[in-house]
Amino acid sequence: MPSAETSAPARPLLAIRGLRKSFGATEILKGVDLDVRQGEVVSIIGSSGSGKTTLLRCVNLLEEFQGGEVLLDGEPVGYREQAGRRLRLKDRDLARQRAQTGMVFQSFNLFPHLSAAGNVMLGLRKVKGMGKAEARAVAERWLARVGLAERADHAPSQLSGGQQQRVAIARALAMEPKLVLLDEITSALDPELVGEVLATVKALAGEGATLLLVTHEMRFARDVSNTVVFMEKGLVAERGPPGDLFGNPRHPRLIEFLRGTRDH
Amino acid sequence: MDDLITEAWDARDVILGGLLQTLSISALAIVLGTLLGVLVGVALVYGAWPLRLAARAYADVMRGTPVLVLVLAAFYMPAVLGLHLQPFAAGVLALTLFCGAHIGELIRGALGSIPRGQTEAAKAVGLTFFGVLAHVLLPQALRSLLPPWINTCVEMVKASTLLSVIGVGELLLRTQEIIGRNFMTLQFYLLVGALYLVVNFAIEQAGKALERRVAFR
Amino acid sequence: MGYTLNFAVVWANLPKLLGGLLLGLELAAASLALGTLIGLAGGFLSVGASRPGRALAATYVAVVRNTPILVIVLMLYFALPDLGVQLAKGPSFIAALSLYSGAYLTEVFRAGLVAVPPGLVEAGKAIGLTRFGVALHVVGPVMLRNVLPALGSTFISLFKDTSIAAAIAVPELTFQARRINVESFRVVEAWTAASALYIATCFLIAAALRGLERRFPKF
Repeated sequence: MPSAETSAPARPLLAIRGLRKSFGATEILKGVDLDVRQGEVVSIIGSSGSGKTTLLRCVNLLEEFQGGEVLLDGEPVGYREQAGRRLRLKDRDLARQRAQTGMVFQSFNLFPHLSAAGNVMLGLRKVKGMGKAEARAVAERWLARVGLAERADHAPSQLSGGQQQRVAIARALAMEPKLVLLDEITSALDPELVGEVLATVKALAGEGATLLLVTHEMRFARDVSNTVVFMEKGLVAERGPPGDLFGNPRHPRLIEFLRGTRDH
Repeated sequence: MDDLITEAWDARDVILGGLLQTLSISALAIVLGTLLGVLVGVALVYGAWPLRLAARAYADVMRGTPVLVLVLAAFYMPAVLGLHLQPFAAGVLALTLFCGAHIGELIRGALGSIPRGQTEAAKAVGLTFFGVLAHVLLPQALRSLLPPWINTCVEMVKASTLLSVIGVGELLLRTQEIIGRNFMTLQFYLLVGALYLVVNFAIEQAGKALERRVAFR
Repeated sequence: MGYTLNFAVVWANLPKLLGGLLLGLELAAASLALGTLIGLAGGFLSVGASRPGRALAATYVAVVRNTPILVIVLMLYFALPDLGVQLAKGPSFIAALSLYSGAYLTEVFRAGLVAVPPGLVEAGKAIGLTRFGVALHVVGPVMLRNVLPALGSTFISLFKDTSIAAAIAVPELTFQARRINVESFRVVEAWTAASALYIATCFLIAAALRGLERRFPKF
């Protein structure tokens, strides 16, 4: 266990401590510990059912969790203590905390009634209270950064899967979140569209964004991450720099897992 | 409340008579309308073009006209054309025509959704057109038709109230007459509303029971 | 029996018939607007987390759908004064038709809400919208687009239901036709004209709606 981080300047941006989460009688997360430092890129790998996506969703408060805590920039998210009881925060506080993290989903989840720019602008206007012109300018800047400047006024249905996912990335990043969560963002894409999305994420990583991502793309995880985390049965089984984890795996399940992914 | 019970008890024969009238009107309109609807539906799908056109015009006119207009027209029009209908018969006629158009559309939709191969297979074993219809197509259409048909039955019970406007002594008109005598307006409108609820709930429950039986076959 | 058609009385009364038609459209539009508010509330309640809320919405729908509209119309007009609420004919009828359409629209909106992909709700939460914000800016607009066809057909049936206002002597189209019928005995002409006007109007509304649906297709 890491010692209590007191005045250390290297306090992690995200600290997950003993996180437990059950769906009914099934325990999905069994006490997960994980740190993400400012500017770090952390990839979570593992077989399906290992709890990686659930972990990400707990950080963004899309799931409730039963035990442990998640600290973002030192602030416990989702819950507060009152007279020794653990209480879920009110909707408004949850929303405020969610605004500090961005999330990109496997299935894009673009708002179909809004244009690409409209998707990026919604949070800027309704959460950050920006004026229309300012929000539009920010949206255009971000769409340009993901290479979609000319698509600003297209409806999501007029965009390819890869373009939709890049809009989703712009939508998350335009909010200037402290941390961006990427949940298997290429899994729903046709193979030929994966490259453009991964290149976009790589560029963001290079610019110092803090990313926590779940991925099935091992080569991408190796290229982009500072740290790779292997999850197995609701626990972190192994973590380390990508070179160590992929080059010299120790956990028997990780060795087996990597052999399985190399096969295809 | 005591007043309502006393008054309703005193008027029980009138209320029951009205209820019986409502049920007769609805049952007649549903039975006759369903028969008519089968003809219209078959004509819409399989009719030669003049017949199909006539069925289409009929269905569109009936469904585009408010039921109350149909009821009033059926009440006033036959007399000037030399046909003398009692209000009851005129009302049943209007509801039947309306019901037939709706059921015709339902049947058209249900028949249209049966794959062509079914007809071809049935013809291949040597069935005539009516044989195919009676033994292959309509039985298959029945399952998908049952829920909307039950719904139509409820709609007919509700529409039967419109006959009060032309003086048919069904449940609503009888209730209005009672109110005219005792002035217990709110109470008796609530009572009559509750009676329609009971009748329609009963139809829905019977329909669900029937659906379960059909589903198990 | 010789009955010769003579539409002169219809032409003479055309302004009144058209005025009645317009009144019917106004009654239907007002009822659709109020019914939509009721239906939105009922729809959100019926998919909401509150058990009493869901029960309330379900009961409202079941009761109203099984009650004849004429009973509701007469009850509001003749019985509400007993409770000290006196509405004029038009507003009373609008209230009745709104209450009636609200039940059907509750079901329409319920189906529309259920059809909104849960991922959109999560995406809305993820950018920091509150539950209300998600409902207002994401779920609401997406659902409205998808229920547009159902709203259109509800408007058409409401327009036809406005004929029932004749029962409390609101001077809409059916009332005007009946007046011509009784005053002139041009029975066939009066009802043919009324029916034709209803059908033509329904047809025009349906055509306009198809145009609208082409402009705002479902997602």
